Amino acid sequence: EFNDRNIRVSNGINEDHPVGNGIKAMQACLDEKSGGKLKLTAFWGGALGGDLQATQALRSGVQEAVVTSSSPLVGIIPALGVFDLPFLFASPEEAYQVLDGEFGDMMSQKLEEAGLVNLGYWENGFRNLSNSVRPVTKWEDFEGMKVRVMQNDIFLDTFQNLGANATPMAFGEVFSALETNAIDAQENPYVTIDTSKFYEVQKYVTETNHAYTPFLFLFSKAIFDTYTPEEQAALRECATVGRDEERKVIQDLNKKSLEKIKEAGLEVNVLSEEEQARIREKSMVVYEKHKATIGADVVDGILAKLEEIRK
Amino acid sequence: MTLGVFIVSLLGAMAIGVPVAFSLMFCGVMLMWYMGMFNTQIIAQNMIAGADTFTLLAIPFFILAGELMNAGGLSRRIIDFAIACVGHIRGGLGIVAIMAAVIMASISGSAAADTAALAAILIPMMAKAGYNVPRSAGLIAAGGVIAPVIPPSMAFIVFGVAANVSITQLFMAGIVPGLLMGIALVVTWLIVVRKDRVETLPRTDAKERLRATGRALWALGMPVIILGGIKMGVVTPTEAAVVAAAYALFVGMVIYRELKPRELPGVILQAAKTTAVIMFLVCAALVSSWLITAANIPAEITGFIEPLIDRPMLLMFVIMLVVLVVGTALDLTPTILILTPVLMPIIKQAGIDPVYFGVLFIMNTCIGLLTPPVGVVLNVVSGVGRVPLGKVTVGVWPFLVTQVLVLFLLVLFPDIVLVPARWLY
Amino acid sequence: MQRAIDLFYKFLEFLLILLLSGMAIMVFLNVVLRYGFNSGLNVSDELSRYFFVWVTFIGAVVTFREHSHVGVETLVMMFGRRGRIICMILSNIIIIAVSAIFFWGTWKQAPINASMVAPVTKLPMIWVYGIGFFTGAGVVIIALERLFRLLTGRITEEEIAAFAGEHMSLEQLSERT
Ligand code: NA
Ligand code: NA
Repeated sequence: EFNDRNIRVSNGINEDHPVGNGIKAMQACLDEKSGGKLKLTAFWGGALGGDLQATQALRSGVQEAVVTSSSPLVGIIPALGVFDLPFLFASPEEAYQVLDGEFGDMMSQKLEEAGLVNLGYWENGFRNLSNSVRPVTKWEDFEGMKVRVMQNDIFLDTFQNLGANATPMAFGEVFSALETNAIDAQENPYVTIDTSKFYEVQKYVTETNHAYTPFLFLFSKAIFDTYTPEEQAALRECATVGRDEERKVIQDLNKKSLEKIKEAGLEVNVLSEEEQARIREKSMVVYEKHKATIGADVVDGILAKLEEIRK
Repeated sequence: MTLGVFIVSLLGAMAIGVPVAFSLMFCGVMLMWYMGMFNTQIIAQNMIAGADTFTLLAIPFFILAGELMNAGGLSRRIIDFAIACVGHIRGGLGIVAIMAAVIMASISGSAAADTAALAAILIPMMAKAGYNVPRSAGLIAAGGVIAPVIPPSMAFIVFGVAANVSITQLFMAGIVPGLLMGIALVVTWLIVVRKDRVETLPRTDAKERLRATGRALWALGMPVIILGGIKMGVVTPTEAAVVAAAYALFVGMVIYRELKPRELPGVILQAAKTTAVIMFLVCAALVSSWLITAANIPAEITGFIEPLIDRPMLLMFVIMLVVLVVGTALDLTPTILILTPVLMPIIKQAGIDPVYFGVLFIMNTCIGLLTPPVGVVLNVVSGVGRVPLGKVTVGVWPFLVTQVLVLFLLVLFPDIVLVPARWLY
Repeated sequence: MQRAIDLFYKFLEFLLILLLSGMAIMVFLNVVLRYGFNSGLNVSDELSRYFFVWVTFIGAVVTFREHSHVGVETLVMMFGRRGRIICMILSNIIIIAVSAIFFWGTWKQAPINASMVAPVTKLPMIWVYGIGFFTGAGVVIIALERLFRLLTGRITEEEIAAFAGEHMSLEQLSERT
């Protein structure tokens, strides 16, 4: 049984991001299942407010849905901080296995307790470092570099621990701050470096793969609970369809974005295996420091799961 | 239809004297009630989230810098410097007013504060020299409204945040149009006073001129710090604002010694109150803006003006006329806040450069500060210069016409804004 | 009574001075630290934003009391005393309604703001978003008192003039640009 529903989905990113493709695929799936009754209306570029603001609107039952990175939500659900831990996942496949499995369900449970129904883990991509000072090949190269980070404790500690001068700054100010050298560096997925044109004002890009912060497709629990079981099931299934499409598109786009960054004349390097291991080693203090806040069970749980996968 | 609810509730509340901020909240309540989504949390959340933005912090800091500049004697020295430079020319005091207005504009972002300082010093001087007083008052008012066009500018910050446009780029793009407004005013002034019998000030000798320059040097350093800092890449606009405030405090207290420590709390309090009035308005506007977006009102309007979308210049022309009309009755900040969420989607769809649009939009709202019935800067000149409001309104018209002509010149030749702007950023 | 009220507003003004100075000092210090010493205060960015929220919403009440909020007085100005009083009554009713809604919304949202902490300072967000209680209640109380005096014919001529936008001080005018 389906009713006419207008589902407003807030996005901080722009429509040309692969999430746009994911939402189209999800809508096609919903059209088929609901006979066109369940309609997604997406708002882009933070038109309905920032990610955190939109998430709070979901919790208070004011708005239906949001696609947001996990990082801004740690103030609501501290356990989500686990995804901010440096060098946690080694590959997208590893991330899929963890997120789409039991561990992901456990995190969804925690979200539900905060009034948020997680319809699935979409992809934001691994975060990489760009800067205008020097190629980063070892952790010593971070020394004194002014890196913009999100307003997030774990990112701050990660970069401070590496010797960088981590500066929290709103996303909207990053471009001009890089352009004017008020800061030297920023860290984001390739797609963001491309779509936000950071490559125009940076010289070096290092594939650090230092964090994989997933996108969450969140639905207001207060509103979700008023939907019929058929509607709920359709939303859950179609969110998965959208997720698969989005992951596929973003993988391709990542490659294209990297090409574009290279064509723009930036020097791109990949952190070597040994150096990656060395930095991970050095970053373990960050794990220790934040273990209590995130929850020891969560940190140990994901590390155990990863060890199991890596065997 | 949602558009109708928006317009009627907003205008209705404003008409019976409800302050604009509360009218916007009322409009928000009516919109969500009409849309069948009444929820008090929409108001509460969007109000506070509106102020929780780092970029907007530049507003109180620039206000503080402007207050400190006036209290610390920087304005006075800028005017003395302008007198020493051009006071002896025929019609010189008018040129002094505009030159000082432009320099002060590059330090402060508030039209009212700049105009007040200019009017207090120059109107008595101009009256004594035999200039037509209402006309002089009109010129000073017209010069004062250049302040928000030349950076730093609260208006650009509010627009930049509401429209999601780079504030640095808006700042850089505002410089040339602001100077153009100043030049056009000087030309008009020289034409209207050419037959007046007035005394000119004695020509200052080189030594005196050098001394005035020396005294003003600290004040003249401020635009260099603000613009240089942003352009050269030392600071973001928010940080530039706080550096400017610190600099004005230092110069006023330590160098000029006109700002006494006991005056400081009063200056800060005034800046805080001005901040609260502007920001409360911004926050209330974000409530109605959220609902406008959620209700898809811009799409409704885009429907109306569909035929104009392919003719950007004509579209700009129409929009500028509308803003001019709105500006007669509405102050600068409310005009920006109410129109931006409605106009921006249209501008984007028509492929008009958002920075170019922003500059013309702000220029236009500044002109609105001079148009009756609600022209705050006219009130300031009238109050400070002790000239009846009606006479200032008559005196301002040649300069008002000049500024409107400059505005439409920029509509016809967008490159006048865009070319130097690209060069500057 | 009046002395206690005046004292309370003096205290609010003192808070405003403290908060604005605090914000300026934090941001300025961060610029100096960043360029002079290549370091920074992590809390500065977040805390200065919260100070800003407090300045805005405490100042909103103080300036409301002083009739300083921007309005359009064009129509009201044309009315006589009677018309102005009717507009004042209606206007205060609307202000009371929307401010009460602001308060009510803050109340309903309190649990979700209490259960969220700021990312860096770990301050529970109710301390920031809860300011809606103060502003909502403050404005309602001021407007109710005005409404009471309007209905009992005890409103002063100065207040009627202020409502119609007459005799604005330079400070009030500069708050309006
Ligand atoms: Na300015
Ligand atoms: Na006007």
